[in-house]
Amino acid sequence: MEFVISHLVKSYGSKQVLKDVDFTFEEGRIYGLLGRNGSGKTTFFNCINSDIDINSGEFYFRGEGNEKIPVMPEDIGYLVSTPTVPEFMTGREFLKFFIEVHEEIKPDRTIDEYFDYMMVPEDDRDRLLKDYSHGTKNKMQMLLNIIAKPNLMLLDEPLTSLDVIIAEEMKNVIRNQKQGRITIFSTHLLDVAVDLCDEIVLLHNGKLEPIDKSNLGNADFKEKIIAALKDQDDA
Amino acid sequence: MLKEFKKTLLKVIHLRSIIGYNGLVYALKKTPVIGKILPDKLYSTMFLKVIYWVFHVIAEVFRLFIGKIFGLGLIYVFSFILMNLYVEHDMAPGVPNSVLYSSLALFFFIIYAFCGIMLNKSVFGWTNDKEYMVFMLRMNARKLNYTLYTYDLVKLVIGYLLAGIIGAVLGAPFWLCLGIPVLAVFIKLFGTGFQAFRFRRKRKRNKLLKISITGNIIGFTCILLAAPFVFMIVANGYYIPLPVMLAVSGVLILLGLWGYKEINACDSILHRRILHDNIGKNELNAYTKTDNTKSFKKIKAKGSVKESKKGFEYLNALFLKRHSGMLVAKPIAFAVVIFAAMGLVIGLFIYGYYQRFGAQNCLNMVGNNLLNMILFRHYEDALLPLDDQSVSSFFRWLAGSHMLAMLFPIAIADNAFKSTQAMYINCDNCLMTFSFFKQREKIIKLFDIRFKQLIKIHLAPAIACGMLANLILFCTGGQDFPFQYVLTVLVCILMNVNYSLIWLAMYYLFQPFTTSVNVKSGIYNVIRIVVSCLLTLIVFIPSNTFVLTVVLAVFTAVFVFTMRKLVYKHAPKTWKAKS
Repeated sequence: MEFVISHLVKSYGSKQVLKDVDFTFEEGRIYGLLGRNGSGKTTFFNCINSDIDINSGEFYFRGEGNEKIPVMPEDIGYLVSTPTVPEFMTGREFLKFFIEVHEEIKPDRTIDEYFDYMMVPEDDRDRLLKDYSHGTKNKMQMLLNIIAKPNLMLLDEPLTSLDVIIAEEMKNVIRNQKQGRITIFSTHLLDVAVDLCDEIVLLHNGKLEPIDKSNLGNADFKEKIIAALKDQDDA
Repeated sequence: MLKEFKKTLLKVIHLRSIIGYNGLVYALKKTPVIGKILPDKLYSTMFLKVIYWVFHVIAEVFRLFIGKIFGLGLIYVFSFILMNLYVEHDMAPGVPNSVLYSSLALFFFIIYAFCGIMLNKSVFGWTNDKEYMVFMLRMNARKLNYTLYTYDLVKLVIGYLLAGIIGAVLGAPFWLCLGIPVLAVFIKLFGTGFQAFRFRRKRKRNKLLKISITGNIIGFTCILLAAPFVFMIVANGYYIPLPVMLAVSGVLILLGLWGYKEINACDSILHRRILHDNIGKNELNAYTKTDNTKSFKKIKAKGSVKESKKGFEYLNALFLKRHSGMLVAKPIAFAVVIFAAMGLVIGLFIYGYYQRFGAQNCLNMVGNNLLNMILFRHYEDALLPLDDQSVSSFFRWLAGSHMLAMLFPIAIADNAFKSTQAMYINCDNCLMTFSFFKQREKIIKLFDIRFKQLIKIHLAPAIACGMLANLILFCTGGQDFPFQYVLTVLVCILMNVNYSLIWLAMYYLFQPFTTSVNVKSGIYNVIRIVVSCLLTLIVFIPSNTFVLTVVLAVFTAVFVFTMRKLVYKHAPKTWKAKS
């Protein structure tokens, strides 16, 4: 399965943030969406998640037989950089609720097993979510997306402001979850993108541009990307 | 020195005009409809900047007129009227008119000037432009404050000199018209000097150099407390002799000189620190002022929910449990107050009965007659009807044929608007990032659950309102037709159902809230106003309770059906998080 974006345009007034975005994402890979601050990464995700209306273009899944499959809300898992969880519930209550409303999901683990998988500390599980740390809230968000098993996972700078340990744990989870879905991971940190992603895509002048993946890891790779992003500034 | 003053003043005026103009354009661009038409180029349009400048100057002149010319002009006019009255009634025999006039004008002016000291903004205070100038453009704070202060003093002198023309026309002596502006400067210097003195002492004691308005409020209250004495003096035709007033003025001039010395003693570091500390105070105030979400964050981890509740039922039950104080307290408190008031009325009737028939018979007779009333609808002997015929007929008219007026107490008891705010802030805002929450079927499912919940929460106040109306009916002659008592309660419940539904449906259809509990939807606000106006008009419509029940029942059914349809169709698009 592939996720296809075709001629996507999004403007705010006279400012065109996404200009004719055309790209195809493949299943089983993690795409690092790299762009400078304010380049439109969050806008791009919000468009895909239908949180904001697009001006023109379309996006859909392409099946094995090249057929167009419309993107439904349940196909998307969206992790925002500032985790949002209902603060009046405990972690356990929230998971219970989440599993119950997803009747289509047949969970393969118990709630505690899910908590264990995400390394959520035991003493946190029955506390209100409002008392959770930023990192644990992030883990909860990730956990919900693991349970929901969406076809497309949008991760909007999920490692921002996480400590080294939790960031490393999250990276491992993201890597483990990439099979059977398309994962797009936005970041403005080049090192994170290089470390975690199979492909790197630049959000450049409102368009998506792939970076040759064979270069990934080369010493001069970073310089090339920086040069490309500077290019954007000069343009 | 003059060159330096001019240079600094021009910088301040330039910056102020930029802040003012850009603020105006920003506000216009945020206005619905108009904002979308206006181009970004507006920020750099020279022509519009010039127009803004013209208005800015007009506003400055206007402020001068209002504050200075108008204030002192009034004093001159008032003193003139008073002087004529004194002369007419021979209150100051042998005193020349000009002396009496000067004495009165000086007396009122000094009081006025002290009020000004208390109420006017301090030169040490915080403003946006000062913050930019000192902390971003690294301007000397002392130089800036002195420039602005001198500018204020110049405006003060010009304004008062212009007001002096009014005084001169009314016969004030020339020396008074010139002297008052000078005295005003010294009084202002004294006020500012006193502040400088306090700041220097605070700095010595290593305290925060915040501008405290407590002293000003106390001072202003003292002046207000002196007002009766002033009136007493005037009403009795007394006046303070001019030599005394001149002596007081002389003392104030000396105090002004002391104030000048104190102001001069403040170095630039002190000026900067005062500004710095007041920025902190201002930011704290702004934070506490704008944080409307505080009342929504009182969540307590109490209780659990029955295992039988699943999914959205479970979510809603938990939400209610953890927000019970916020959601349930107001309607319950309202119902309790209504029932307590009814208990009081019933108690008064029984007391009247007790007084009429004595303690021994009271209980028996009340019981027997209540039975009579229930069985045979004959109650006159059991409870004393209201004696006052006009009050009685008014309440009868209200409960018998104007039941729509009950919308008013129902609206007061209703908590649906706040409930929708709490739903957004503490629940939906977070869940809206999850795709399942925006699915049509799930939206309508939660909508139904919440609608039922709101009806349950508001059932107690609705019944209380109905019972209150019934008590009125009962005390003023009983029901007009069978089952009127039942229908009265039903009408209140139905009105409540509709009222709750309006707010819930509007929330789902417009989702107007931001995470800081502000309403960010023009259409929502317009509909709110229209709905409020309509409900206010409806209150006055007379109606037969039976007909009203039927109409309301049909209306409720249609309204619920329509709103559910609309929510089902549109909410998946409109029900989105706003930052």
